[in-house]
Amino acid sequence: MSPQDCALRLNNLCKSFGKICAVDNLSLEVYPGEMVGFLGPNGAGKSTTLYMIAGLVHPSAGTIEVFGHNVCKRFKDAMKYAGTMVETPTLYEYLSGRKNLELISRLRADVTDGQVGDILERIGLYERRNDRVATYSHGMKQRLGLGMALLGQPRLLLLDEPTSGMDPEATRQILTFLQEKVKTERLAIFVSSHLLYEVEEYCDKVFVINHGRLIASGKVKDILAPHRNVTQVTFSGTAPKCDELLGNEGILNAESVSDDTVEITLAKHDSSWLNNLLSKKGYKITALVPKQKTLKEFFLSVTGERENA
Amino acid sequence: MRNMVVRLLRNEIAKTSRTKLPYFGIFAACLVAVLAFVVTEESGSGQTLNGWGYVGLSMQMVFIDIGLIFISIFSAMLIAGETGSGTVRMVLSSPLLRWQFYTAKVLMGLLYMIVMSVTAFVLSIFLGSLRYEFGNVADAAGLIYAKKEVAINFLAAYFLSWLPLTAAVLFGVFISTIAKKSGQAIGVVVGIIILLATVKHFIGIGPYVFTTYVGSSWGVFHQVAQGVDYQWSPEVWKMVAVSVIYCFVTFAAGLAIFAKRDLNG
Repeated sequence: MSPQDCALRLNNLCKSFGKICAVDNLSLEVYPGEMVGFLGPNGAGKSTTLYMIAGLVHPSAGTIEVFGHNVCKRFKDAMKYAGTMVETPTLYEYLSGRKNLELISRLRADVTDGQVGDILERIGLYERRNDRVATYSHGMKQRLGLGMALLGQPRLLLLDEPTSGMDPEATRQILTFLQEKVKTERLAIFVSSHLLYEVEEYCDKVFVINHGRLIASGKVKDILAPHRNVTQVTFSGTAPKCDELLGNEGILNAESVSDDTVEITLAKHDSSWLNNLLSKKGYKITALVPKQKTLKEFFLSVTGERENA
Repeated sequence: MRNMVVRLLRNEIAKTSRTKLPYFGIFAACLVAVLAFVVTEESGSGQTLNGWGYVGLSMQMVFIDIGLIFISIFSAMLIAGETGSGTVRMVLSSPLLRWQFYTAKVLMGLLYMIVMSVTAFVLSIFLGSLRYEFGNVADAAGLIYAKKEVAINFLAAYFLSWLPLTAAVLFGVFISTIAKKSGQAIGVVVGIIILLATVKHFIGIGPYVFTTYVGSSWGVFHQVAQGVDYQWSPEVWKMVAVSVIYCFVTFAAGLAIFAKRDLNG
């Protein structure tokens, strides 16, 4: 695979502000056709990493490549491929939404005729295009910032909290639109977000950082694979007492979830073994479901953070 | 590369034309020009003036204080304003280089200075023509300077007056690269200008400060307009040297700082 095949490659990236190490030996890769979530607690180094990729902060060490072009050495070539929204969009408030897009479109050689209008329609701001941005709500500004990132023909989108402040319907529309672009145009999206359920639903892969270091990564479907040994059992009528269940060999733990449901952790067997065991004991079971992990649980387990969840 | 600077400059013009401060600065400059007209009439000093002399006096009054301050403030806000609001990050994550952005800002500052200067100049000529004549400079003994010679010196004084004002623009942009907010940049620029104006002669640094020369070319021209012996040298050379040095040093220092600066929130 040639370097140009990788949309974004960070190689041993470091950034220090005085004695504070914000990003520490961070390496990761994002490929075309992937929507990648970039997670971490507050102050983990997510924004600093995005700033470095966008060329706004100079790395202390390491390299950043966008489609094989080194951001520090060939910034213009690298940024031709990238669309960015690196923070809560900062816009020219005294100008209209259309004018804001036009100003940025002048800086990109690959903006086609009529693209500004198309984007305004796509982000749902066409009707308000001539209004001053100062009169926009936070969600509308967010959408305009996203529209700016989409100007030209970007093959990599760097997005920082792209749906912050948007209502649920707008959020769904925008994320579905982005997901479509990932699938149909093989766009690569690197998105930093605190909204774990969005990342869980829309991203293919996640990278988790804490204290500037990459602490976990993987495909979302692998992370969210069912727990091998935890099964939720719903009984017909009232569930037996947990102590009663713990008396059986092979059951490590039993926790009551509701009157009729118990979460059972097995030592080594699977849920079909549990089904047989409970049937033999004469319990009537209405449902037996291997418990699904959530990204939130995964995030909390790797970061040890509770307050940011 | 140059094309990008032109595009950025177009953006700067579009943004500037939709903000109030630049218009306020030009209005203030015009107001001072009108005040100069009224004051010379009221005080009776206008009786010793001709059209040339009046314009020189008016331009000195406009740019020594108000014009200089507004040009410096406008320049100081060019980058600091975008840093403070965060729009600099939106622009600089586009495929362009920082020197191009910086150069476009400097060009915008110069353009504003020229617009203000031309406006004040044209208004002063218009007001001067209402009361004075722009002819030969003569006294009772006859012709001293022919109209053509005076006009050449007049234009020389006008264009030379741009040099210290260019230094003011570059000084403002330089401060703009250091400051994090426009208010901070304005405070520093105005503070330095006032401080220098107050102490430069006491501590003997007057000849080395560019603000000293803002009215210099008009001062020399005033001698022409008065019909006395005039000498551009050595005053004009000092003005050229000091202004050019300030321009180079502040441009280079500002560019170096801006290129190296981390633009995180």
